[in-house]
This record gives sequence, structure tokens and C-alpha cells, in this order.
Amino acid sequence: MSSNSGLESTIDQVLERNSSEFSQSLKNSLTDAQKTLSDSLPMLEEEYEKIISDGKKEADKIEKQIVGSADLQARNKALLIVQESADKVLEKAKEKISNMDRNSEYSSLITKLLTEATSALDTSDVIVFTNSKDKDVVQSAVSNISGAELSNDLIDCMGGVKVTSKDGSMSFDNTIDARIELLKPLIRKDIAAQFNLGN
Amino acid sequence: MSNQGGVQYSKIAEIKGPLVIVDGVDNAAFDELVEIETTEGEKRLGKVLEVGNGKAVVQVFEGTTGLSVSGTNAKFVGKVMEMPVSEQVLGRVFDGLGRAKDGLPEPVADSFLDINGAPMNPEQREYPKDFIQTGVSVIDGMLTLVRGQKLPIFSGSGMSHNILAAQIARQAAIIGTDDSFAVVFAAIGVQYSEAEYFKRSLEESGALKRSVLFLNLADDPAIERIITPRVALTVAEYLAYDLGMHVLVILTDMTNYAEALREISAAREEVPGRKGYPGYLYTDLSTIYERAGRLKGKKGSVTQVPILTMPSDDITHPIPDLTGYITEGQLVLGRDLFRQGVYPPINILMSLSRIMKDGIGEGSTRADHQEISNQNYDAYSRAQEVRALAGIVGKAGLTPVDLNYMNFGDEFEKKFLSQAIDEDRTIEETLGLQWNCVSKLPKNELTKVKDKYVEQYYKE
Repeated sequence: MSSNSGLESTIDQVLERNSSEFSQSLKNSLTDAQKTLSDSLPMLEEEYEKIISDGKKEADKIEKQIVGSADLQARNKALLIVQESADKVLEKAKEKISNMDRNSEYSSLITKLLTEATSALDTSDVIVFTNSKDKDVVQSAVSNISGAELSNDLIDCMGGVKVTSKDGSMSFDNTIDARIELLKPLIRKDIAAQFNLGN
Repeated sequence: MSNQGGVQYSKIAEIKGPLVIVDGVDNAAFDELVEIETTEGEKRLGKVLEVGNGKAVVQVFEGTTGLSVSGTNAKFVGKVMEMPVSEQVLGRVFDGLGRAKDGLPEPVADSFLDINGAPMNPEQREYPKDFIQTGVSVIDGMLTLVRGQKLPIFSGSGMSHNILAAQIARQAAIIGTDDSFAVVFAAIGVQYSEAEYFKRSLEESGALKRSVLFLNLADDPAIERIITPRVALTVAEYLAYDLGMHVLVILTDMTNYAEALREISAAREEVPGRKGYPGYLYTDLSTIYERAGRLKGKKGSVTQVPILTMPSDDITHPIPDLTGYITEGQLVLGRDLFRQGVYPPINILMSLSRIMKDGIGEGSTRADHQEISNQNYDAYSRAQEVRALAGIVGKAGLTPVDLNYMNFGDEFEKKFLSQAIDEDRTIEETLGLQWNCVSKLPKNELTKVKDKYVEQYYKE
């Protein structure tokens, strides 16, 4: 009986000691956990801030991308409209020029084009080419320039002349087609301005 | 110019490399634009390089492949090469000669500008200043780009210069003002995949809207490369001085430009200079680099970041050597850092932005910017020495302070220098990272920064 009570008291003592150690250990763990938690709070907040700021950055990026691409698409469509309009206007203008009367005003234009061409080549010993419609007008202008000859070969153009030196080494294209081609960017700009498009 | 443009000559005396020698030409002018027409009716552009004795030497931009002496005609246009410019060039993609390459019509021009640029009166030049944020920490923090500056990137073959160039183009911005900002990107002799990368990268980031791209591909005629930087700079000057924008021009790769120059020089049988490059390489490069700047009374600015690959990573090669004489510093990419996988692999100890001090500090970035940058330079240089020492005596032979510097070096490369290709860091973030790095060192080692900044920013 006495040996049993001795054993029980020993067990109680061990239990008590372990229990106090255990509760101390629990307390320590709790303190540690609380410390870890409070230490990680600023890190967590920092992380949170970073995630929010990265998210904002990403959102800004996406917004920029969407707005940028929409703006560009709209601008590109306007550009295509300008081009289409410019092409239509030019076509109409070309048609008008092709069918215009070969009157005295036109004759003086041809003379001017011919003089310009011979002066660019720096010689009047030239062969002049033109289309079938302008043949007569050009013939009369050529007859005023000594050394110049009108070729029997016809060229495909709206009007004007193409002049070649007699040795064939130089030529000057002063057809209306060539002049329009030269001025095309400026004509386009004017057309765009008329439609209030472009800049 | 010739008395009157438009005269076409059909006597071709000789075709030599990229040059066509036209006979019987009396009144052509130096640099005059020439239209070469092949027997098949194909038109190519060129310019007059020399005139005299009834002959004109014409450099054909698109190459002379397929041209023959008989049947080829040369039309002297009567003007120098011009680039049509307007605000509409923004968001567009052009080829190396300035022709639309994006399937859209040519932009409606506001004016036509000589691609050789308007000569800048030195008296009218204004000193470069004000900060451009690239979003790349090592540049913003330690090698700051300043408006109106010319700051080249010296790279080597295969390194990540083009990725860096695209990142700068996407992210570059002017902070703290409402002034408009634009990027003109000229790719000179780049591969198709790289050109596509540049284009896609700007499209996807939404930066294409404020950018203009000029793409001369590796398989485009080499001679076209002579023109590409010039058309790009012409557009940049228009946007800057006529429209008042701040323009960042990125030219990659200037080595390909110099190669094209060498090709022409060889064809003209000129006396070669170093490595076969013409003796006038310095003068020629300066006609490009000196187009960066700001003008008094004009709101905009042209800032240049030319990129060049150094053959065999040789910084004494004539191209980087002569570039360095003209520009205001350089960013050098390091092969060792690149091999370690560091991006961007900028070797700060070989790099320098000469006019950084004029674009940073209170009112521009932050009061401690210069000092914290100097401190990082100092510490990284010491870290390199310690690393070298550790290689001989081992880590065990190092003092605790030396070990601190080694830690600093690692932190600097991992946290500050390295960044993702789509990571856009603000200047505040960059300066914060610089402080994080130096905080690896004891406070008493921070001798380049004032105590008040140490108190304010040092992280215990």
C-alpha cells in the first residue's frame, strides 16, 4: 500500500514537473508565434503593397495598350479614307484632263512643256514624243523649235510631251502624267485638308 | 542641284559594286537624288557621290544586283533625298529608306525635309539637361540618360542589346511634365526575327502609338543602311523642333552602318583607314551623332541611344573608339555578366554617363541620387577587388568587412542590376534598391553619402 502511494507521489511529481515544463513550453511557443506573426506583419504589408502596386502597373500597361491600339486603328482608318478620297479625286481630275479641249490655252501649255524639256536637256536637237490626241498641237509647237522633230511613234499618256536627245543619251518626261506623279504628295495633302482629314 | 530636275540619262559607263557611273552628265549636284530604272522597269533610288568630267558617280541604295550597262536609265531628280513628315508618322513602320512598310498608305506630309538635317548653329544649342526615365535601374540610377544627350550602348555579338533597346523604347518616359514624348527606332541591318520582336514589343505595350519604326533588315541592301539613321533623325528633328516633343532615337546597330560605309569606300577605291574603314569615318559618324541635342527657343529635344556591337568585344575597334570621341559617355555590356545570366548585363565600371549630373538631384530625381550612385560605384568596385582576392586566398582569408563587400556585390548584381525584361522600375524604386544594396555594408563604410541621407535611407 505504502509502496503504491510512493509510486503515485513520484508519478504526480513527474507529471507536475512535466506539466509546468509543458505549459512553459506552450507559453514560449505562443510568444514565439506571436513574435513571428508581428514580425511578419510589416513584411506582409510590404508584400501586399507590392502586389497592389504591381497590379496597378499591370492595369496601367493594359490600359495603355488598349487605348494606344484603338487610337492607332482609328487613325489608320482615317488614313485609308484620305487615300481612297485622294485616289478618287485624282482619277476624276485625270479623266477631265484627258478629255479637255485642245484649245489655244492647251497649245500654250504644250509649248511651255516643250520649252521646259529642251531647256532641261540643254539642246534643241531633240525628238519629241506625244499621244495621238496631242499630235497636232505638239506638231505646231515643234515647228517653232529648230532642230526638233516629232516622232511618229506614239506614247501612252494623258497629254504633254516626252523629249529625247537625238543621240538617245538623254530624255525628259514632261507629260502631264509625270507632272502629276511629281506633285502627287502635295495634291494628297491638299485633298486631305479639304476633307479636314490628316493633320 | 541640276538646273532642272527630271533629266534621264541612258549612257551608263560602268557599274562597280554599289556604284553606277553615268556618262554625259553635266549639271548634276552632289547628293542629288537619282532614280535608277532597270530594263524591267523597276525603280531604285540612289544619290550622287561625285560629279565631274561629264560623269556622275551614283550610289544605289537598293544595290546594283540585276543592273546592266545597257538598258539602265538614271533620272536625276533635281533635289536631295527628302523625307515626308507630319504627326502621322507616329505609330507607323517604315523601311530603311523611309517608305511605308505596314501596308498603309504613305502618311500625308506636312513638309518634306532634307534627310541630311538642318545644320544646327552651335550658338543656338542648349546644354542637355533633365532626366529621362528608362525604367531600367542601372541606367536610371547610375548612368542616367539626359534629354538631348547621346549615350551609346557598346555591346558584343549575341548579347542582349536589342532586348535592352526594345525595353528602353517601351518604357522611356519624361517624369513630372505633360510634355509629349516619342521614340524613333531605327533598326539597321537587323534580322527579321529581331525586327518583328521590336515591332511586336512596341505594339503589345501600347508604345507603338508614340513611336516611329524604321526597319532595315539584314537581307536588305547594305547601302540602304547609309540612309536609315538619317531618315530616322529627320523625323526625330521634325517631332522635336516643329512639334515640340521630346524624342528618344534608338539606332541599332551602328556597326552595320559603318560596314556599309566601308563597302562604298572600297568600291570608290578610297585609301582605307584603320581596319579598312574610310578615313572620314569619324566625320561621318559625327554627322549622325551630332544631330542629338536641344535648341534655344525650341521646346523639344532629340536624345540618341546608338547601339553598336564591338567585333570580338574589342573596345579599341575603330567604331566604338570613334563613337566614344563624339558621344557623352557609353553603356558597356559585359560578356561575363551576360554569361552569368544577368540582364541587363551592363558593366558599370566601364560605363559612364558624362552629363548625368545635369539631369539628376533635387527637383529632377532625388537629392541623394548622385551620392548614392557614387557609393554604389565605389562599393561595387571594391567588391570586384575582394572577389579577385578571394580567388587567390579563399573566402577564409577575407576580413569581415571584405565579406560584407562580397555580399554587397552579390546583392547588387542580383537585386539591383538584374531585372525582368518587362519590369519598369520608377526612379524611387531604383534609388530604394541602391540603398538596400549599400545597407549590406556597415554604416561607417558609407563615405560617399552625407550622414543625413544615411540616417534617412539606410536600412538596418
